Amino acid sequence: MRAIEPIAWAALVAAGIAVYLGGSVYAVGVAFSLCTAVALTQSWALFSALTGYVSLGAVVFYGLGAYVTVLMFGETPLLLVLAVAALAAGGFAFLIGWPVLRVRGPYFVILSFGLAELVKNLVMLNEDRLGQFSRMMFAAPDLGTLYLLMLGCAIAATLVAWLVRRGRFGDGLRAIRENEEAAETLGVPVTRLKIAAFVLSAIIPGVVGGLATLRTGYFEPSTVFDPTISLSVVTMALVGGGDDTRGPVLGALFFLLLSEVLWARLPQLYVIVLGVMLIAFVLFLPRGIAGLLPKAGGRAT
Amino acid sequence: MSLLVVDTVSKRFGGIQALDGVSLSVGAGEIVGIMGANGAGKTTLFAVIAGHEKPTSGAVRLRDRPITGLRPDRICRLGLTRTFQIVRPFAGLTVLENTLVAAHYGGRPTRDRRLAERRSLEAIERAGLADRRHQPSGTLTLSGQKRLEVARALAAGPDIIMLDEVMAGLNPTEVEDMLAMIARLRGESGITFLIIEHVMKALMHLSDRILVLHHGKEIALGTPAAIAADPHVLEVYYGGAA
Repeated sequence: MRAIEPIAWAALVAAGIAVYLGGSVYAVGVAFSLCTAVALTQSWALFSALTGYVSLGAVVFYGLGAYVTVLMFGETPLLLVLAVAALAAGGFAFLIGWPVLRVRGPYFVILSFGLAELVKNLVMLNEDRLGQFSRMMFAAPDLGTLYLLMLGCAIAATLVAWLVRRGRFGDGLRAIRENEEAAETLGVPVTRLKIAAFVLSAIIPGVVGGLATLRTGYFEPSTVFDPTISLSVVTMALVGGGDDTRGPVLGALFFLLLSEVLWARLPQLYVIVLGVMLIAFVLFLPRGIAGLLPKAGGRAT
Repeated sequence: MSLLVVDTVSKRFGGIQALDGVSLSVGAGEIVGIMGANGAGKTTLFAVIAGHEKPTSGAVRLRDRPITGLRPDRICRLGLTRTFQIVRPFAGLTVLENTLVAAHYGGRPTRDRRLAERRSLEAIERAGLADRRHQPSGTLTLSGQKRLEVARALAAGPDIIMLDEVMAGLNPTEVEDMLAMIARLRGESGITFLIIEHVMKALMHLSDRILVLHHGKEIALGTPAAIAADPHVLEVYYGGAA
């Protein structure tokens, strides 16, 4: 089984590139959404699934990236804009990390949600002050270019998640999840590790937010800071499997299929089916779809 | 030179004086037992030494280097770690993965996975868990989890390990095994131990010296024989009802 895995990854990347080269506009659009979901969910799982600090505010990094992009786009080259978006999201995570990551368990869950809402409202306030209700973006790059960048984000997020999980950094983060005080006693610099993972989990979502906004060509704070984005990221990680690099990809694929099938046939049942599935996964498959596959990355001794 | 020096440490929690001017000097390779009734301040002493609590006054020095107020992970990297009375396994991880954390980050941190694995396996072997190394630690028996606490501490490669009631809750056979294990560890590795234990026989058997605490104060410090004969200790332990 293990030999199949690298092939499967390569096939996924190849499929991603094939869509760019020969896919219809519709196919590129679907692949763009898939890559968005993979990049966001991998980033979320890197921090939340490994440390056990479950964040319901993942959208805040996405939104900040989007805001930076809409403010800067036009005069500045695209790649520079995206770099600043990444920096803004990562910098924000760094600044709030120290106070926010002192809070554990359900308190952190609520805090993360509240924080995202706070930032949303601050951005709204600022837009109001500037007399903006929403912004249109003109001369955005074509869908193909944006898709290629988004594919890059998905691959980068997956690669980072894989590297972190297999190394010493990942061991330290898991120890924090399992018992923070014991981890500290065994030499794990818990605060430093938590902040590092938090920042790492913010950077790519910043870029993703920028790309997604360029794609729609339209910016509105309530859309880019929509808490539904945070919730679907958590759901995809939960369904795919959190502490497994394959999980977010499987979760994103699963949801894509589900929404394609359900939206087309039974739109009125979509949310209900989603809810039932979520409950079923939590109860019967806590390690997600990835939990059904043989364990990744052999660690036998 | 003393490896560890506790210099007139006091700790106050609100109205409770948990530690009151406790001093102790521990030499390399020594085993010092700490006894006292519940609430005597034993675990608080460990918490202050390991960096979980800041003392209200006083200082702790490791190899003449002040460590008072340092965070537990810093202190561990300087060579001192502890086990917990209420076991704290990384329950979702296997025994080996538990010790790998300590081997990667502890007193001799390394990024080399092979080296960390070798040290982990050695620690597991010494703690007598070799046959259970791939078992999820949450499914170990209590005795297994107590051994895991020791294995993790060993994997951190420390000079000093503080054992907080590693024998509590074990049956007599398991206590015997644990005793033999600690004695062997000291003999083989020269690790210094501070041991809190309610199992009196164990403490008498293992310790070079014993510190007796009562309401946060030292009431006796000496060899097990001297402690067993100390009138003050006997009064507090057996005759203090009046």
